[in-house]
Amino acid sequence: MNSSAIENVTRPIVPEPIENVYLPKVAVLDRVVDEIHELKTFCWHFEDPAEQRAFKRFRPGQFAQVSLFGVGEFPTSLPPSPTEDETFFTVRQVGSCTSALHQLKAGDKFAIRGPYGNGFPMEEYYGKNLVFVAGGIGLIPLRSAIVYALAHRDKFQRIQIFHGAKTPKELMYVPKLLEWERTPGVDCHMTVDRAGADWTGNVGVVGSLFKKPGVEVPVDNTIAFVCGPPIMFRFVIKDLLGMGFQERNIVSTLERYMKCGVGKCGHCCIGVAYVCVDGPVFTYEQIKKLGEDI
Amino acid sequence: MRARVLDRDDALKIVDLLRRQGYEVIAPFYGRGRDTLFDTVTDQNRDRVQIHLPNPYYPPKRYVFPHIERLLKVQRSNGDLHIEPTYEQPLRAIFGIRSCDIAGIFHLDRFYLGREFRDIYYDNRRKNLLLINVVCSDPEVDIGEECFCMCSDTGPAARGHFDLQLMDLGEEFLAVAGTPAGEAMFADPIFKKGTEAHIARRRAILEDVRKRFKPITTSWFSAAIQDVSKGEILEKTWEEIGNRCLECGGCTYVCPACTCFTVTDRQVGPNEIERVRIWDSCGLDGFTRMAGGFNPRRAVHDRRNRRFFRKLAHYFIQRELSMACVGCGRCAAVCHGDIGMPSVVEMVRRATAEVGKAEAEKHELVSH
Repeated sequence: MNSSAIENVTRPIVPEPIENVYLPKVAVLDRVVDEIHELKTFCWHFEDPAEQRAFKRFRPGQFAQVSLFGVGEFPTSLPPSPTEDETFFTVRQVGSCTSALHQLKAGDKFAIRGPYGNGFPMEEYYGKNLVFVAGGIGLIPLRSAIVYALAHRDKFQRIQIFHGAKTPKELMYVPKLLEWERTPGVDCHMTVDRAGADWTGNVGVVGSLFKKPGVEVPVDNTIAFVCGPPIMFRFVIKDLLGMGFQERNIVSTLERYMKCGVGKCGHCCIGVAYVCVDGPVFTYEQIKKLGEDI
Repeated sequence: MRARVLDRDDALKIVDLLRRQGYEVIAPFYGRGRDTLFDTVTDQNRDRVQIHLPNPYYPPKRYVFPHIERLLKVQRSNGDLHIEPTYEQPLRAIFGIRSCDIAGIFHLDRFYLGREFRDIYYDNRRKNLLLINVVCSDPEVDIGEECFCMCSDTGPAARGHFDLQLMDLGEEFLAVAGTPAGEAMFADPIFKKGTEAHIARRRAILEDVRKRFKPITTSWFSAAIQDVSKGEILEKTWEEIGNRCLECGGCTYVCPACTCFTVTDRQVGPNEIERVRIWDSCGLDGFTRMAGGFNPRRAVHDRRNRRFFRKLAHYFIQRELSMACVGCGRCAAVCHGDIGMPSVVEMVRRATAEVGKAEAEKHELVSH
C-alpha cells in the first residue's frame, strides 16, 4: 500500500471543491401522459436551463433520483434517449414516493438529481445486430437504447424488438412500437400471456417469439438486451444461451432499493457490485459473477 | 523521528491546549456504572478525562458520520421550491481515540472520500478533525475480552492516520506526530526531547501488551478472508449463523467501520421540510425491500452473509484499500446471539475444516 497516496486522499494538500452529490435540482412538470394501468409518463424540465443542458448528456441505460419533498426520493430509469428533445420518466404507482409523483399536475415542482450509473456502452455495439427482449415494464429502461439505436440507424446492423406482457392492455409504449415497426430494418414482435377476443397477435411467453416462423434471431455479432421480471429473465436467458448467445453478449439492467445513487448508502449492493455506480447495466457474464443472486 | 516526551501530569494539558485553540475536544469518560463514553470536555468534567479505560461501545464514528445528519432544508412557497444544503464544519479534536477507531475513521475516509463521488458532508466534518490517539498499553483496563486488533493488524498501536499518538511509558508519555498539525503541537513547552531509552521502553511495553491479548480464534482471520472471498462457505454455515441472529442491528450500530445509511424527509414547519440521513443496518429486514414489497435479500442468513461478505471479501478490501473490520470487538460484545466477528470467523473455520476433512476422506476412499 502506498502511504503517500493515501495521505493525499485523506488530507488533500490543495483542497478541491467537492460537489454536493445529494443536492437535487428543481424541476417543473410539463405534462402527464397515461400509459397503462397505474403507469404514467411524466415530462419535465429543470427550472435552470444550464441544469437541463448538463443533464441532457446522459447515456441510454442511466437512471435518476427523483425527490418528492416530504415523502422521499426514489431511483427511476430514464426512458428517453439523449437524441430526443423531451426529458421524462415512466413510473408505476407502487410505493409512497411514486404515489406522490402520480398526484402531481402540470406546472408542479419537484426535484431531480443525476444522471447516475454506467448506462449501455452503445458505441461499443456499433456494427452489431441488436436484439431487445422486454417483459412488461422492462421495456421502460430499454426504450432509451432503442430510440438511440434508431437515431443512429446506420451504425447498427439488424434491430429486433421482442415485447411481451400478461395481457394486451399491459403492453408498453404501443404507439411507439408501431412507429418503430415501420422503420426499415427493424422487426417488432409482440406477445401476450392471456389474450382477449380482440387480440390477433401471438399468445405465449416472450421466448416463444424466437421460434415463430419468419422470425430469425441473429446470434453472431449480436447484442441481446434483456429486461423484465425475474421469472421472464431466467427463461429468456435460457433460450438465448440455447440459441448460442455468449454470456458477455447478453446485457441487462438491474434495479434495487437505493437511497443515494452514488455508491454510499449501501442498499443496492449485490455481492461485489454497487448497482448504482457499477451498474445498473451488467452483462450476464458479470451478473453470474456477482456472488449473490439477483 | 517526530517524537517527544511529556510528563505524566502534563498529558491532559494537551486537552487544555486544544481547547484554548478553539477546538471542541471529545474525550473518553467513565459513565455512572462501568460503562464508558466519548463526550465533550468542559471545565466541569476536564479532570475526569480518562487515559486508560475500556473502549466505549458507542464508537467515535458519530463525530464524522452522525447517527442522524441533516442534508438539506427545503422551503415551499407559492408552489416554488427552495432547496438549501446544510453544512457543519466543526473545529474538533478527539483525545484518547483508540487505534482500532483510528483505523475505523481511516476506513470511512477511504469509503466516503476515496472514490468517484465524494461525500461533502463527511468531508466537512473530517476536514478540521484532529485525532489524538492513545495506545492501549494497560492490558488490565484497555484490552477487553473481545479485542482482536492483533488479527486485523490495526493495533494495539496505530501505525498511522493519527495527528498525534500518545503512549503511556509509566512516569512519562511518548508523543509521536503523524501529521504536520500534530507536529505543530510540539511547540508547546510541555513537550520535551526524548532519548533512545524512551523508544526502547515503548518497544518493550508493546511487546508485553501483545502477549496479553486473549488467545481468541481470530488468528484465523486471514483464512476466513480467503474462504469468504473464494465463496467457499456453504449455505448451511450461513444458515447456522443466520439462525442465531436476532436482527437487532446492534453490530452495525457499534461498528466503527459500517457506512450504510438511509435517507428520510421530515416536516419541520408548515412549509418546511428537512432531509436527513440516518444510520441503517444490512441486518434489518427492510434494508433491501423495494417499493411494492419485493425483497431480494429476505432470508436472515442472506443478510448475515451480506454483512460478513462486505467486511471480509478481498474484493472490497482492494476496492477501498482498507478493511471494513478494525478488530475492536464491539460486535462480539453486544451480540446476543454470539455471532460477532470472532465467532463467525471461528464458525467459518470449523465448517471449512469439516469440508476439508470430508474431502480428504473421500479422496482416500477413491485412491484405495
